[in-house]
Amino acid sequence: MGLLLPLRNLLRNRRRTLLSVAIISLGTALSLFVLGFFGDSKTSIAESQVQQFGNLQLASERFWDESDDDEVLLNPAEFQQATAIVASHPEVVSSTPQLTLSGLVAAGTETRAVSALGYVPGNDALDYANLVVSGRALEPDDVAGMVVGQSLADQMVLEVGDVLTLTTTTSSGAFNALPIRIIGIYRFSSEQVESRQVFVPIALAQSLRVTRDVERMVVRLRDEDLSATSLIRDELDRELAAAGLTVQGRTWDELSVFYEQLIGFFDTIFGFVALALSILVFFIILQVLTLSFLERTREFGTVRALGTKRHELFRMLLLEGGGLAVFGSLAGVVVGVGLAAIFNAVGVSWQPPGTVEPQTLAIRLTGSTVWLPLLISITATILSSVFPAARASRMQVVDALRIV
Amino acid sequence: METSGRFCYEQGNVFLEASSLSKVYRMGATEVHALRGVDFQAHQGDFVVINGPSGSGKTSLLNQLALIDRPSSGEVYVEGTPTGSLAEGRLAEIRKAKIGLIFQTFNLVPVLSAMENVEYPLLLQRIPRNDRRKRVLEMLTEVGLADLANRRPDQLSGGQRQRVAIARALVTEPKMVLADEPTANLDSETGARIMDQMSKLNEQHCVVFVVVTHDPAVSKYGSRHVQIHDGELIEPKREEAVYGIAPSSA
Repeated sequence: MGLLLPLRNLLRNRRRTLLSVAIISLGTALSLFVLGFFGDSKTSIAESQVQQFGNLQLASERFWDESDDDEVLLNPAEFQQATAIVASHPEVVSSTPQLTLSGLVAAGTETRAVSALGYVPGNDALDYANLVVSGRALEPDDVAGMVVGQSLADQMVLEVGDVLTLTTTTSSGAFNALPIRIIGIYRFSSEQVESRQVFVPIALAQSLRVTRDVERMVVRLRDEDLSATSLIRDELDRELAAAGLTVQGRTWDELSVFYEQLIGFFDTIFGFVALALSILVFFIILQVLTLSFLERTREFGTVRALGTKRHELFRMLLLEGGGLAVFGSLAGVVVGVGLAAIFNAVGVSWQPPGTVEPQTLAIRLTGSTVWLPLLISITATILSSVFPAARASRMQVVDALRIV
Repeated sequence: METSGRFCYEQGNVFLEASSLSKVYRMGATEVHALRGVDFQAHQGDFVVINGPSGSGKTSLLNQLALIDRPSSGEVYVEGTPTGSLAEGRLAEIRKAKIGLIFQTFNLVPVLSAMENVEYPLLLQRIPRNDRRKRVLEMLTEVGLADLANRRPDQLSGGQRQRVAIARALVTEPKMVLADEPTANLDSETGARIMDQMSKLNEQHCVVFVVVTHDPAVSKYGSRHVQIHDGELIEPKREEAVYGIAPSSA
């Protein structure tokens, strides 16, 4: 009984149905488009962060507490023990030590504060060779040499082959300086990283700091699914603690304050867009249905007079709204996926502030970019039909019949 | 559904009764008394024609009898049950089960075909599909519209629409049919045919018909004639008005 009138009204009032479906589908498609865009941006940023930090890093608990004395470093014995534990985890592909120095680089009259990252050139866990755009990357046999960012090179007018003086402090607090030749220039997605970060062999970093210790271990995981990282980190933390090591892990997203802030920003923007579109769809459909139900008041009076109860009429009208919601939202998904495919095929690019290269914009379609807009549109449409349906079903029969 | 007409005239078999029925409409500070203490009874098999000029209270009375409006005072009894205190849902149940309605402007649902319009009350009664379709086709055949079953109201003439409305009112085999100016929007020939059909159904199905009209041509079909004027009912003595002039014996 409940489906005859809603179905007939949807199918036979074609213009109104098409208008409503078009509005709902537009809202759904736009939501899907925006969510897909943010989804792609998040993934790209996540990948760049993993490129910068590795999947996860292990260091002493005090290091993560941001203490900067040498007690926070891992001595060779601790590092070896931790390496053995990490290597035994089935999801770990490889690991590598790192040691960071804070210091100054000087060339002629130019001086800049930098963070010199000492790493093992050619390691499997996190090598920066693919970032090098000029000169060459550090190689395992290099005992000296530095790779600097393009932005730093531009600021200090440096070229491959130039010599920089790197000044830092030793473990005991004394100044230490060394002239180092630039062997390569790298590019990265962030101008800030390019200006601040330089790469040196870890042996050089240790000799400048006068220590054999390392600061952290970068771990590369097998799983492509970045969301599994924290689970593996927890497992490693437990195993390391069981071995008596005061070593803890941090995942790539925990290490990147920028990423967390950006994701929060994206989520806020999407929430706002989805809310705005939902409100728009809500009020337009509310208006369309209110007018439509008003036109059909006599029809409602008739079916009530024939014995249809209030709640039965309310249910029928809600089903009509539900039908519009489902048709419109599904059409919106089809339109949104189509638009995304066209957008991705065209290949629009844009250079965000603070980045060094234009990035290709894309719409990433996943399960959540489809079901979330679908759910939002269906909910907004059904909610928008509640009020006119309630009003229509609560009218007195005799009053409804009087309306021509 | 075939019933002997004689059964319908058994005394005391009151289907519908209105007692001291009043209806007052308030228009700002003004009160309009549409019905003033109306007493009315309809027995099974009655074909009651209520005549009266425009604004006399005919439609107001019919709305009360059809349980689609509530009186300001007084009571409507259906088969002895007072309806004044019943909830809206219960009134809908009574309308669905016992009352067929025919409107002056047909009031067919525009998006439904003739067949679906007639089928709708049976859907409300949750009659199984096969039985439902059979009864709808029988009823449409009875009103001569079987071949137009799939047409929508806007594809039918006024007379055809009214016959669909009659079929819709009768398909549930109601005990009473209330008709509001059933011929008002029809030409005289079509109106006569419609009234012949209603009269025939009254005889064959023993259904109470209460027809309000100001069309003198409709009056000849009544077994009882009631006048309404300024919200008051004027009825000849029952024994004179009813039992002598049933249409079947006219």
